[in-house]
Amino acid sequence: MTEGALAKVRQWFMIMRHYGGIKNTILALYRYDDLKVGKCIGADKYGNHYYQNHRYFVGRSRWVKYADRVGLDYDASQVPPEWHRWLQYITDDPPTTTPLKRQPWMIDNIENKTGTSQAYVPYTTVPNKIESWKPPSPTTTQQTVTMKT
Amino acid sequence: MLSNFTNLSRVGIPRLIITRSVFFRDKQSANHPPEPFKSSVPPHLEKQQQKALEEYKTNEDPSLKCYVNISEPLPSLDMYQTTKRGLQLLIWTDILKGFMIALGWLLREPTTINYPFEKGPLSPRFRGEHALRRYASGEERCIACKLCEAICPAQAITIEAEEREDGSRRTTRYDIDMTKCIYCGFCQEACPVDAIVEGPNFEYSTETREELLYNKEKLLQNGDKWEAEIAANLQADYLYR
Amino acid sequence: MSGIQLNRLLVALNRIKQHGYIPICKQSTAAQSKKEPEKIEVFVDGKPVQVEPNTTVLQACAVAGVEIPRYCYHDRLSIAGNCRMCLVEIEKSPKPVASCAMPVMKGMRILTDSPLTKRAREGVMEFLLVNHPLDCPICDQGGECDLQDQSMAFGSDRSRFTDNEFSGKRSVEDKNIGPLIKTSMNRCIHCTRCVRFGSEIAGVSDLGTTGRGSDMIIGTYVERLFMSELSGNVIDLCPVGALTSKPYAFTARPWETRKAESIDVMDALGSNIVVHTRSGDVLRILPRTNDEVNEEWISDKTRFAYDGLKRQRLTAPMLKNRDGYLVPCDWEDALSVVAERIGRTGSGSKMAALAGRFCDAEGLIALKDFMNQLGCETVCVEERFPNVGASIDLRSNYLFNGTIAGIEQADLVLLIGTNPRYEASVLNARIRKAWTHNDLQVAVIGPKIDLTYPYEHLGDNTNVLNELTSGKHAFSKTLNEAKRPLVILGSSMFERPDATSIYASAAQLSEKLRDVSAKEDKEWRVFNVLHRYASQVAALDLGYKPDFKSIIDLKPSLLYLFDADEGLIKREDLPKDCYIIYQGHHGDRGAQIADAILPGAAYTEKHAIYANTEGRAQQTHLATTPPGKAREDWKIIRALAEVCGVALNYNDLDEIRDRLEEVAPNLTRMDSIEEANYFKQNVELLKQHKTSFNNQPLTPPINELKDFYMTDSISRASLTMAKCVKAVEQQLKSRHTN
Repeated sequence: MTEGALAKVRQWFMIMRHYGGIKNTILALYRYDDLKVGKCIGADKYGNHYYQNHRYFVGRSRWVKYADRVGLDYDASQVPPEWHRWLQYITDDPPTTTPLKRQPWMIDNIENKTGTSQAYVPYTTVPNKIESWKPPSPTTTQQTVTMKT
Repeated sequence: MLSNFTNLSRVGIPRLIITRSVFFRDKQSANHPPEPFKSSVPPHLEKQQQKALEEYKTNEDPSLKCYVNISEPLPSLDMYQTTKRGLQLLIWTDILKGFMIALGWLLREPTTINYPFEKGPLSPRFRGEHALRRYASGEERCIACKLCEAICPAQAITIEAEEREDGSRRTTRYDIDMTKCIYCGFCQEACPVDAIVEGPNFEYSTETREELLYNKEKLLQNGDKWEAEIAANLQADYLYR
Repeated sequence: MSGIQLNRLLVALNRIKQHGYIPICKQSTAAQSKKEPEKIEVFVDGKPVQVEPNTTVLQACAVAGVEIPRYCYHDRLSIAGNCRMCLVEIEKSPKPVASCAMPVMKGMRILTDSPLTKRAREGVMEFLLVNHPLDCPICDQGGECDLQDQSMAFGSDRSRFTDNEFSGKRSVEDKNIGPLIKTSMNRCIHCTRCVRFGSEIAGVSDLGTTGRGSDMIIGTYVERLFMSELSGNVIDLCPVGALTSKPYAFTARPWETRKAESIDVMDALGSNIVVHTRSGDVLRILPRTNDEVNEEWISDKTRFAYDGLKRQRLTAPMLKNRDGYLVPCDWEDALSVVAERIGRTGSGSKMAALAGRFCDAEGLIALKDFMNQLGCETVCVEERFPNVGASIDLRSNYLFNGTIAGIEQADLVLLIGTNPRYEASVLNARIRKAWTHNDLQVAVIGPKIDLTYPYEHLGDNTNVLNELTSGKHAFSKTLNEAKRPLVILGSSMFERPDATSIYASAAQLSEKLRDVSAKEDKEWRVFNVLHRYASQVAALDLGYKPDFKSIIDLKPSLLYLFDADEGLIKREDLPKDCYIIYQGHHGDRGAQIADAILPGAAYTEKHAIYANTEGRAQQTHLATTPPGKAREDWKIIRALAEVCGVALNYNDLDEIRDRLEEVAPNLTRMDSIEEANYFKQNVELLKQHKTSFNNQPLTPPINELKDFYMTDSISRASLTMAKCVKAVEQQLKSRHTN
């Protein structure tokens, strides 16, 4: 049953069931440019879902469905490091089975903010090398007067 | 037909047709120079051929009349017709073949990776975006020994350091110019405390160059974000270092 | 080629020609005439070399061009022979020999590259490293560490150190020996260079060793300050990272700094220094070897006051606004307003200029030319000089004629009203060196102070001077017997009301002694003035008036302060409408009373010439650019002159140095001392002067270490120097005082 026209039709139905109806399938095709069926391995706390299907070759066998809230503004940097490691085939163990060690000082995933108002802008982390002399100004003289009194 | 084309060419039809009309000339055209040769027979044999043909017609063998020539008449073998036929064949079959190949691949499973949803395999040693790591206690590792600054072949690293209040040696400035960096990984090789590492991230492209001038806090933030993966990658690779 | 270019070329050629024939002043003519002993021949790796007897094997190898690794051995310190790194094989000697302590013998065959020597070095390195921590990444000596270099060059390529029992390496508690020197005693390899420096050069026995073998500890016995004005030199001496600079701690690596050769201006000695900078930031100051001036020592103020260059700086021109407050402005505004004020003053007779202690020769000549062209003749320096006899007309009257290196030939030094330990610390170290090695006799007229060497105290009143001049004093006999005496007169004595008399009697006494010493050495010069201000000699050479009181007497309506930060002229001394222009680099006493501020460059920020107390012209090189809108001093004056419509005919450094050469050619002949020898003539003139002393004791202003640190606008702005003062005060309060 895996070969032939009937199998193809069956697959279409499977896909439509997987995505939840014709409308959703069309929407998914619009969003992902591809319709794939696989086993959901897990989800991260940002709402991204991770799938695997070994029927596809390495490179296509693992994929991520970005959280619905991002809509079409999905970005590769939305994948947190734990899943990044699995998604890029550095390991075969997903963080659901072998979680990575976390430390309290570690921070949540930050996506690439370039082009937005929150983009990183470089700044200096050291104070000025030369300290200028401040001539006595009205405010400083006021202070010294009050200090004297 | 071709004479029409030459007429059309005067009122500006596509250039392709002009070239065609130039290369495949029409001998009927009045202003056209005469055809350089008429047939495939060399001129010195022309007369002999003519004579032979006439001889054949006049001395027709009556016994031959019972035969019927059933084969297709040979197509015209003159240069223009031959070339035209050949080119038509090549063009149409190739276009068709091309379509068929494309159609074939369309129906197969794609070989490309549907990036940002699917990603290619990476090595645990991948040298991507830099990060400054911390010890498990949360203390920053970097001790401002400046070996990375010294070894950096692109001179992308700038470090300034001073004594922290607790008397330890720490950097006050740790800047990496990511636009200068050549991602050779010498900095992480040189680091005696595994503080500066090139992490697995390569998805940090920016819209301005300015955003790629990383300072210490950005690098530490990178470390805090990627530490889980960096540590696991180092662990995976420690036997081969 | 244009006429100007040709002219420039000719001037340069002329200068080169002159440089070839500079009469260089040397105090050591007689010393050279001593018959040299015969040289002996030794063989270093088979190569024959001729060396003097009594040199060590190590020195003989140096002559042959072979460098022997060493830790404890240092040229200027006594030989200890305790690090054993300099072991070499000597043929027919049963064991390897410590080359630093072994004198050469005739026909000695030294093998510096033999397998035995190599193994001996590897062994010593291994023993040193057994107890040396592996903390090179956080060690400040990293990159300039003898232990690093020599373990790479001479050490074994693998370690046998396996700490199976986890007993650890030797650990020693770090000592707190003050705000300048950071100690990390685990790294100490017990070369005892610091201990020897303290007791031999600095004359302070604070540092010492306790314990033996692996329990040996270098320290101060009890927790106390390393109380020396030369303490920073132990940082350079330490071959490892045990003693490092505290202000420089962790800031840079030696390979990333840019080095600019320069001259120190904190005192009038003109110590040769190297300024280390990185991205326009002065990181540290190290000494540069110059045997004629500072050998390889510098004082702590020279070494550590550099952070004062980064604080309280004038970084923009300032003008007073309507409310009478200084506000930053642009150069255009500042120059035009100041020029307008100068123009409004009219004739130069109501103007005055005062130059301070950090002024360079270029700035001084530019200011003098500018003021003179405006018609102003009251161009003064802050330090005074008695107007008696030939006064400043003869250079020999105000120079340290005997030369600093000449102290080593002297057999008697008479210090009058000076405390060289704090006025010229490196010079004091030179006197101490002469006292240690040449049995130099020192006598002092002044208060009883610790000069780090014993001396004959002749009293601190003026009577002593009087009696010495007339030959009635008990010490006169010793003085007259001296073959090469030096009389050193402190410049602080010129501030006294009876300065003329003190000067006259000191000069007369010197002349008398010169008559005696002339029998031994005709060229011997006895009379010396020890200046305190780096600019003083150049200013006097250029014809500045050494009398700031004349400015007060003039009641000027415009006063140009050029780096004048001593606070000698108060706002109250001047007429109310007097417009004060301050040009300098620090917001100090001068800037506080100014109406207009023109920010200048400090000594690390310009190519400039300074003449030291000997009259030796030396030049600084630009290490960093002046901060903000600050500019080189002579350029400011040149620009101001342009706006004022006064023609100063120099547009670049070469041209202004040509102008310097016209006025005082000695100032452009670098690193040489011009002959100045007119003592007799001066004394003739001095005979007319009637000596009249007052009864104040001859006390130099700085007699304690805590007063040494903050004396000028740079060191007053320095936080390190402030910490030093605090540390010394605390030390004096503690139980463990001397």
